[in-house]
Amino acid sequence: MPAGFHAAPRGKDSLSRVNKTLSSARSSFRSQVHLGVLIAWVGLLLFGTVVIWTASLSIADASFSRHLLGIGIGVVLAFLTWRFVDFSNLQNLSTVLLVINIVLVFLPNVPGLQYSAMGMTGWIRIPLINLTFQPVELVKVVTIFFMSALGAQYHGKIDTLRDYVKLCGMLAIPFACVIIQGDLGSGLVVFVSGAIVIMMSGARKEWVLMTLALIIGLVSLMLATDSIIDGVLGDSRSFIKNYQMNRLLVFLDPEADTSGAGYNLQQSLIAVGSGGFFGKGIGNATQSTSGFLPEAHTDFVFALLCETFGFAGAFVLLALFALLMFSTIRIAIKCESLFYRLVCVGFVGMWLFQIFENIGMCIGLMPITGIPLPFISFGSSSMIVQCLIIGIIQSIWRRRGAR
Amino acid sequence: MDAQLVVIIAGAVLVAAIIGSLLIMRGYSGKFTFDTKNGTKPKASEGEGNTQGLAYKGRFTLLAVGVGAMFATLISKLWSMQMVSSDYYDELAVSNRTRTVTTSAPRGRILDRNGVELVRNRASLAVTAYRDLADDPVLVRHLANVLGMPYVAVRRNIQDNTEGAQAQHTIATDVRRSTVAYIQEHAGEFTGVYVADRTEREYPYGTLACHVLGYTGTITSEQLQEQEEAEQTEGSIEYRSGDVVGQAGVESRYERLLQGIRGEQTVTIDASGNVTGQVGEVPARAGSDIRLTIDVNIQKACEDGLAYAIEVAHRAGYGNAQCGACVCLDCTNGEILGMASAPTFDPSVFVGGVSSDIWSQLNSEESQNPLLNRAVGGQYMSASTIKAFSALAGLEYGIYSSSRTTNCTGWWTGNGEAYGKYCWNHSGHGPLNLRNGIVYSCDPVFYDIGHDFYYDEENPEGLQEMFRRWGLGSKTGVDLPSEASGRVPDAEWKNEYFSSYSDEDRAWNPGDMTNIVIGQGDILVTPLQMATGYGGIAMNGLEYTPHVFLSAVARDGEGDAYLYNESGTKERLTAEVNDQSELDLVHDALEGVIYEETPSTTAHFTNLPVRVAGKTGTGEKSGEDPYSWFIVYAPADDPKYVVASLVEQGGYGATTSLHAVRHVLGVIYDSPDDAAVSFSDTTR
Repeated sequence: MPAGFHAAPRGKDSLSRVNKTLSSARSSFRSQVHLGVLIAWVGLLLFGTVVIWTASLSIADASFSRHLLGIGIGVVLAFLTWRFVDFSNLQNLSTVLLVINIVLVFLPNVPGLQYSAMGMTGWIRIPLINLTFQPVELVKVVTIFFMSALGAQYHGKIDTLRDYVKLCGMLAIPFACVIIQGDLGSGLVVFVSGAIVIMMSGARKEWVLMTLALIIGLVSLMLATDSIIDGVLGDSRSFIKNYQMNRLLVFLDPEADTSGAGYNLQQSLIAVGSGGFFGKGIGNATQSTSGFLPEAHTDFVFALLCETFGFAGAFVLLALFALLMFSTIRIAIKCESLFYRLVCVGFVGMWLFQIFENIGMCIGLMPITGIPLPFISFGSSSMIVQCLIIGIIQSIWRRRGAR
Repeated sequence: MDAQLVVIIAGAVLVAAIIGSLLIMRGYSGKFTFDTKNGTKPKASEGEGNTQGLAYKGRFTLLAVGVGAMFATLISKLWSMQMVSSDYYDELAVSNRTRTVTTSAPRGRILDRNGVELVRNRASLAVTAYRDLADDPVLVRHLANVLGMPYVAVRRNIQDNTEGAQAQHTIATDVRRSTVAYIQEHAGEFTGVYVADRTEREYPYGTLACHVLGYTGTITSEQLQEQEEAEQTEGSIEYRSGDVVGQAGVESRYERLLQGIRGEQTVTIDASGNVTGQVGEVPARAGSDIRLTIDVNIQKACEDGLAYAIEVAHRAGYGNAQCGACVCLDCTNGEILGMASAPTFDPSVFVGGVSSDIWSQLNSEESQNPLLNRAVGGQYMSASTIKAFSALAGLEYGIYSSSRTTNCTGWWTGNGEAYGKYCWNHSGHGPLNLRNGIVYSCDPVFYDIGHDFYYDEENPEGLQEMFRRWGLGSKTGVDLPSEASGRVPDAEWKNEYFSSYSDEDRAWNPGDMTNIVIGQGDILVTPLQMATGYGGIAMNGLEYTPHVFLSAVARDGEGDAYLYNESGTKERLTAEVNDQSELDLVHDALEGVIYEETPSTTAHFTNLPVRVAGKTGTGEKSGEDPYSWFIVYAPADDPKYVVASLVEQGGYGATTSLHAVRHVLGVIYDSPDDAAVSFSDTTR
């Protein structure tokens, strides 16, 4: 039992709940481990394993053993985190967190750690053990801690606009760093999860809406000037290159250009749609196994899942995600500490964006960006960090009484 | 960048909406306060945030609703894709991974009546490319080096549009296997260069029977258009751009039989287009082999005979003789045993696409239009060969009875002294009856017939009626394309034909009659028409439609699938004969032409095992050397073969064409001509 547990509860409700919790060994387990999160996590890991195994049958890059290794490391990390790490002290270390964050973002630029393969950037190779890793995955977690630590200072209500602007400015730092590194997708994940933390910290509604209007206005303005520059000076001088623009906009009309930017999307739509209710079954998913669907085991893994297991499989997956996210919200509600609450909410925000963006891009709702689907996509960095997040959440659940 | 504009506009609208809602909701600032238990100041008075529990709930409910909305959005979109539109995407997936590959079907062979191959197929590797390959000069130069062709030729072939602009253009055919292997091994360097497995036509006898066989070529855009307009019936062949079809002769006429039906293979492919398996196949069906009535030996005899006749013409001083025709048919059923036309062409130049140089050369005046089949498409004045029909007309209409005689002085003045006409024999034949008028081809005898028809009140055009009755002036109906119908002129025709002239000049006059009665003037016939007409005389009036198609060979190679006109023969017409004695007179006279007229002609026929009947002809065209005709049928007492020959500007009938006909008869009866060639025989 955590030390602060007995001291924490206030009021009748909490006290009786604690008494109930203590009454049996079984409820003791449930007070240590949140069952909903655990079930969702294990379910997602199993489902992901089956999907990647399916992919490994036809896609050489999808190494099943590496996927299992990632899960193994992730599970161990999650267990250790849950068992031994108390994050409550982090709320006083916001400056340190910011420094760690910036270091992490620029780690791939350090000469000794740099690792690039097939034109990809943003990877580091950890010396001695020769393991490659994407620090940006960790940046997402650290940013959430950082923003929660800042947000928790205001005790649930941000009174002055100055404080709100300061918070937004703080979020802009990691966001800008990630964007500079050229990873728009991860940048948006950082931004959305941080923004949700700010909103939950007690920002006034008008400010939030105004900020939203400002961002949309700025983006529109940028696109407008970009297209003018594009028209006057040519594509090479504009901020956003035509291919990037095409990639962003192709989801508006996926069939307009099925060989260029629309190809991936069109193939993904065909894969998802042709799956039907029960899917084509393992090994019969022609879109993903014959190479029509690019990145079928990483960014477009959801399309592979849909083609193989159909609507039924997709529904199960979404149900597991829903269980995970609602359970996490529930944990946030149950937490005494505002910092813990904001951390949980930040993770929910992160998943909200990653899942919606990844699945949305597979089914033509969102533009195509390279964001992995948590727990399912092939890729150890994402898998390890996502498992770590589960460990953090379980650790928070265990210490929910702490202030 | 239309999509970009949409995004910008949408963004502007959204900003306006947010600002608008902010203005409306002013003053509700406390509503969304996030108050914790140990918050600074509990907000007491406003909205839903006034108690602690509700403050939590409001915030977290909002987040939960957001999460729920996301899942609802994803599920509903997935539902619409996987449950509602699943079939649509399934079709796309199938078309994504399967391709239909067509396999070409070989054309049917063309055989002679005894099964000798006149046209067959051979495998050929062709290198093709789309037109835009010409935009890459480096690649074209490299390809030219590999193929061993000049750069300019390769470039020209790529840009040549005769096969259709969108089709793959043939660069080279009959490419060596090693060259093809090189191109395929270096596929990366030769992007846009394709290798096609084709079957090409092969002609084991070279130019032999080229006019009958015709040639093949890539389907033209006009022909494709025609197919589109025509109604598609069950089992008909669907042509595509680039298909090879018959363009002339039998290849064209029996295209439907010869053309195979292409097969289709449905294969599965992966994303890079590699074939990974086969899911279905409709095998290609080769075209039917067809047998022609042509006998390769008689065909060869016709062509050799014609060439020999032209050579004789040159020796006789007629240097302009280059063109001609020679036909041999079986008058008992209409089968064409041999059909020659000079000059000839080599049908193999059309294999894999004819170059424009050769094409324009083949169609030029200087080379005498070798593509024209003069036996069916060449129209000539019939000259004296028509006298057999003129005689029948004179007898039937009572114009010139068998007992009447004309005294030939060499100068005939029946139409008045001003319109006097020579007999070809200026010194005159003396008194002759009709039979001997034919034998000696005496013109004044027939001038009298023409003159008397003109002034006959009952049948002024009885002569023309007789010609038409025997099938002149209309197509024979031979199963070869581009047949000419000839012309039997009469008053009405002349009036229309010379419509721009004065009435006097357009009027039908006695001179016209005396011209056509001896086959001069405006009358036009084809060699095949005359052969068919003489076949009719030999068969006592029955004419069969001449044809070259004998049968389609059954697919198993044994027996015939079906015959020409289902029975093997088709009756063209039966000319009404007024009295058998009139026809007998003509038969007798035609035999006399061979055996009585001149000893030099007779000498050529004495060693034949059968008696022959026939007629010479010499057409006169101002400014040109005479056109030489000779038509026979044999045996005279039981006719079977009709041989007709014409040499343009070849001189007198007995000088030139006789040798072509005699050569054919010599091959048929295995008794070569042993008489010396005489240039002095000026018999007409």
